[in-house]
Amino acid sequence: MKPERSILPQHTVTYVFLTLLGLFVVFPMLIAISQSFMTNQEVNRWPPQIIPVEPTLQAINAVLTQQDLRLDLWLRNSLIAATGYTAAVLVLCAPAAFAFARLRFPGNNILFGFLLVTIMIPSQVTLIPNYLLMRDLQWLDTFNALIFPGAANVFGVFLLRQFFMQVPRDLEEAAVLDGAGYFGRFWHVILPLSRNALTALGIFVFLFHYNDLFWPFIVTNSLETRTLPVGLAILNSSYAGQYRPMVLSGAVLSSIPILIVYIIFQRQIIQGITLTGMGGR
Amino acid sequence: MSARANSAGNRNWRFTLTLKSRETLAACAFLAPFMVFFAVFVVRAVVEAVRMSFYDWHILRPMRPYIGIENYIELINDDVWWISLQNTIVFTALTVVGTTIVALAAAVAVTRPIRAQSFFRVLLYMPSLLSVGAVGLIWVWLLNTQFGIINYGLSFLGIRPVNWLGDPGLVIPSLSLTTIWWGFGFPMLIFIAGLQGIPEQLYEAARIDGGSNRDLFFYITLPLLRPTILFVTVTGVISHFQVYGQPFIMTTGGPGRSSYSLIFYLYQIAWTAFRMGYGAAVAVCIAVIMAVMTSIQFIVLSRRIEY
Repeated sequence: MKPERSILPQHTVTYVFLTLLGLFVVFPMLIAISQSFMTNQEVNRWPPQIIPVEPTLQAINAVLTQQDLRLDLWLRNSLIAATGYTAAVLVLCAPAAFAFARLRFPGNNILFGFLLVTIMIPSQVTLIPNYLLMRDLQWLDTFNALIFPGAANVFGVFLLRQFFMQVPRDLEEAAVLDGAGYFGRFWHVILPLSRNALTALGIFVFLFHYNDLFWPFIVTNSLETRTLPVGLAILNSSYAGQYRPMVLSGAVLSSIPILIVYIIFQRQIIQGITLTGMGGR
Repeated sequence: MSARANSAGNRNWRFTLTLKSRETLAACAFLAPFMVFFAVFVVRAVVEAVRMSFYDWHILRPMRPYIGIENYIELINDDVWWISLQNTIVFTALTVVGTTIVALAAAVAVTRPIRAQSFFRVLLYMPSLLSVGAVGLIWVWLLNTQFGIINYGLSFLGIRPVNWLGDPGLVIPSLSLTTIWWGFGFPMLIFIAGLQGIPEQLYEAARIDGGSNRDLFFYITLPLLRPTILFVTVTGVISHFQVYGQPFIMTTGGPGRSSYSLIFYLYQIAWTAFRMGYGAAVAVCIAVIMAVMTSIQFIVLSRRIEY
């Protein structure tokens, strides 16, 4: 049999496809960056300009200096809230996952089964009662409201339990012989050996929270307590008609920090997302 | 003698009991922090939501009378609910199908033994890191009728300006397109992991038998990837069914109510009309729909181990 021969060099189709897809992905971002350096007149013109004729920092300056826009504060708030949330999830989920993975106690399986069933209840049903609770606790406009209501993350327990069960028991038994108690086993054996899993879950919940819009939107009210996604929604509704390049530069500026982090830690982030997405399988 | 043996046995029994109860006690200590938060923010909230749905609970009115299933009856007769449900279903279907196809194609291309493999992987995942805010602001302008780049590009093909976000029939597909751009990175990573799990020998054997690349894809990759495709589509359905940010930022539900999604409507009821009781009923119904979909997911996924 004659082996199949192609006239094209190997993988040409793949390269062409990936280049087109890459352009589809990058083009919207490049246009937004490019138009951030234009004036309002230049953006509202037909045919649209791809490259600014006379690049100007007008829009970027305006976004950074308008009284009712506080990108710096919003970024800070987003970082604090997402970091706090991630820490809370790990602190709550890891010990619970350890108990489910390693300790024998009556009702272990029943309780874990119950938790799994609650994964099916979408978080939307808790929005109204939790919002009213935040209001009654006077937690609206505080980091508490952004951090705690979602911290009991059942998926986190499920995922970490999955990983903790894969840690060889011999290591724990050795620790017990050395006199380690339950906490020692958890702290000195399980946690250090599950660093990858903890990082993966941490990255996943951090990004989820950092980009969340609905909950931060309803529990924050004042300019100073908003997070970045909420701030962008406000920027859009107050400036889109008036000065479009400001809106675009807001979108660009707000994305720069996360993209820098991504470029530095691309490997860890992609691995972490994959690992979490696969549910630890 | 017998008394001594008895007491020894007793002691032994007591000893194991304390060991066991120590382990139970430890488990309680490890579980307690999580369970406290879970009880307050999940269990209590769900019970409270169901209870509230039977009341006429308006945030500005002190009287909150019990009205039985009145809220649910109102919901059945609520045109906006049905419009939102329909929009959400159409959006979810378009987005999941589009995302899955793009993600699968991207994953197959990226796992070929080419140079720049990891470059493309990193690049293609990039939009997924942006917030829905940034994505919405960028795409609203790309899709602009008068000055948008997309219409500009189409003008070269002789296509007249399209009112992407202003046409009731086009607004949901436009939001879908935006969402595919934003969200295909995550399923792509899952597909890459799935593809790497397919043994290379299978391909080699098929190539020896004279299989073309196309045969390899349709007779090896696709069937072996079926569990992953299922996983990606069902988790996609669940996440896109909760769409809110795209209509909220890009269209505010318009034109008219053509891009109201269920969660967007829930927001309107509870936080602009302040009807918390009716909102709770809407939330409960959304939850029931999603719970049914999730159960179907579990059933379908647990059936998948056939290979």
